[in-house]
Amino acid sequence: MGILQAKKLVFEYIRRDKDGNVDGVTRAVDEVDLDVERGDFIAILGHNGSGKSTLAKHMNAILYPTEGTVWVDGMDTIDEEKLWEIRQTTGMVFQNPDNQIIGAMVEEDVGFGPENMGVPTKEIWERVDESLKAVGMYEYRHHSPNKLSGGQKQRVAIAGVVAMHPKCIVLDEPTAMLDPSGRKEVIRAVRALNDVEKITVILITHYMEEAVYANKVFVMDEGKIVMKGTPREVFSRVEELEEIRLDVPHATKLAYELQKAGLNLPDGILTAEELVEALCR
Amino acid sequence: MSIIVDHVSYVYSEGNAYESKALNDISFQIEDGEFIGLIGHTGSGKSTLVQHLNGLLRATGGSIYYNGADIYDLDYDMKTLRSKVGLVFQYPEHQLFEVDVFQDVCFGPKNLGLTKAETELSAYTALKQVGIADEYFYQSPFDLSGGEKRKVAIAGVLAMKPEVLILDEPTAGLDPRGRDEILDLIARLREENGMTIILVSHSMEDVAKYVGRIMVMNHGGLVYDDTPKEVFKYYHELEAIGLEAPQTIYIMNQLRAKGLPVRAEALTTEEARDEILRVYHRA
Repeated sequence: MGILQAKKLVFEYIRRDKDGNVDGVTRAVDEVDLDVERGDFIAILGHNGSGKSTLAKHMNAILYPTEGTVWVDGMDTIDEEKLWEIRQTTGMVFQNPDNQIIGAMVEEDVGFGPENMGVPTKEIWERVDESLKAVGMYEYRHHSPNKLSGGQKQRVAIAGVVAMHPKCIVLDEPTAMLDPSGRKEVIRAVRALNDVEKITVILITHYMEEAVYANKVFVMDEGKIVMKGTPREVFSRVEELEEIRLDVPHATKLAYELQKAGLNLPDGILTAEELVEALCR
Repeated sequence: MSIIVDHVSYVYSEGNAYESKALNDISFQIEDGEFIGLIGHTGSGKSTLVQHLNGLLRATGGSIYYNGADIYDLDYDMKTLRSKVGLVFQYPEHQLFEVDVFQDVCFGPKNLGLTKAETELSAYTALKQVGIADEYFYQSPFDLSGGEKRKVAIAGVLAMKPEVLILDEPTAGLDPRGRDEILDLIARLREENGMTIILVSHSMEDVAKYVGRIMVMNHGGLVYDDTPKEVFKYYHELEAIGLEAPQTIYIMNQLRAKGLPVRAEALTTEEARDEILRVYHRA
């Protein structure tokens, strides 16, 4: 059984007008089946309102299914007795690093999670050191988080989750507020967690270049998963993606345009290197 | 008619232990109708600089002239400056506060002292400019989608009829569709109303596609100020200061390194496509 599973997951919320009367029902997630294997790196794409974040919030029991079932490491998320265990299995990182940092010093902030879990003090410090090393922020452990750049803050937030030893991390647009170098830093740290620490990663993003590193890409539209496959498989469907107003990586787009103009190039080019190689052959 | 920034410096907490130079001897001139991209990593001084242009921050050294008048003159009317140079902050939708969309957009012109009729006409025109349909006018701004909220927030600034519009990362957090809508809207405002636009952005693709001139900041200084084609020639140097060039620039330079005689300065997918085809068809 995979680490995250969903069967016919439906999530509806009730819209109310300003007097509190029921205005209608919105189905944010619509009969989604999901099977994420241990060690997977999944990228979820889709425009705003497609249900990505709502789906993600089911992965650590922030939201519960209206219909259907979600299992986290075999635990049904509506099982209240398992709530803490579920939340420790899946950690979440959100868009704005400033909303996620509470400590006055980097190492204190990272230690907050394990401390709340009742981890013995000596082990907390071990975990803090390990996690900060995993995201490349160890040398900043005595700094104040306020003085860090956006990318550095976001890596501290990720370290805070890693210190709780989750099996799975869900990142909801972690790079949306960062500059180019901050984006690179964060993605590098996330890839290292997946490669080295074997943590399962779910990355929600609008940057197609970041999805290239995943081993599977899910595309959501109107609450449903409409495409699923390796980045190469998904991004070779340029026209379908454009139809739901999503981008493809820049190299893929350029390769597609060149193909359309009659150049003989292979399908599924993802990176600049691949395109250059194909063109120079 | 222009903005002239003449040797402007800004020092935080001057004279005590926390003193830091946010702007360091910056000079440039902006003409009417220019479309400028302002780039630089987080903390490079971009936001500090734009807050000087509408008088929210006061330079600790140097002068700024707006349409020939020194904005630091004692009798200069800062209130007019702030309506002529409109500033749309990052995540402007966080500043929506009124009970409905229309009222929110009225707030700016009302505070400029316009009559009720003028205020409402300005608000109506601004909402039409950003493409908000009439049926949303009396809804709470908080019920709109992220992209629509941002348009309403931009309308709130447009309603003051600015001559210069400065937008601080207007596409941050939007999906590709929302991003294209906002950028197309900005380009249209410039074409139809002759507005001067200053776009602060972390997206090199957006900047390359839309603007005619790029200013690059680093450590409070202005390091490049030229056309996109010229600025992105320095992509190695840009990387060293935490930035990058549009992806096509990397592709073109790698092709050149492999011996394909393409011109390296293609900024968009279309330019890159045409340039690669040109070389292929000649071969």
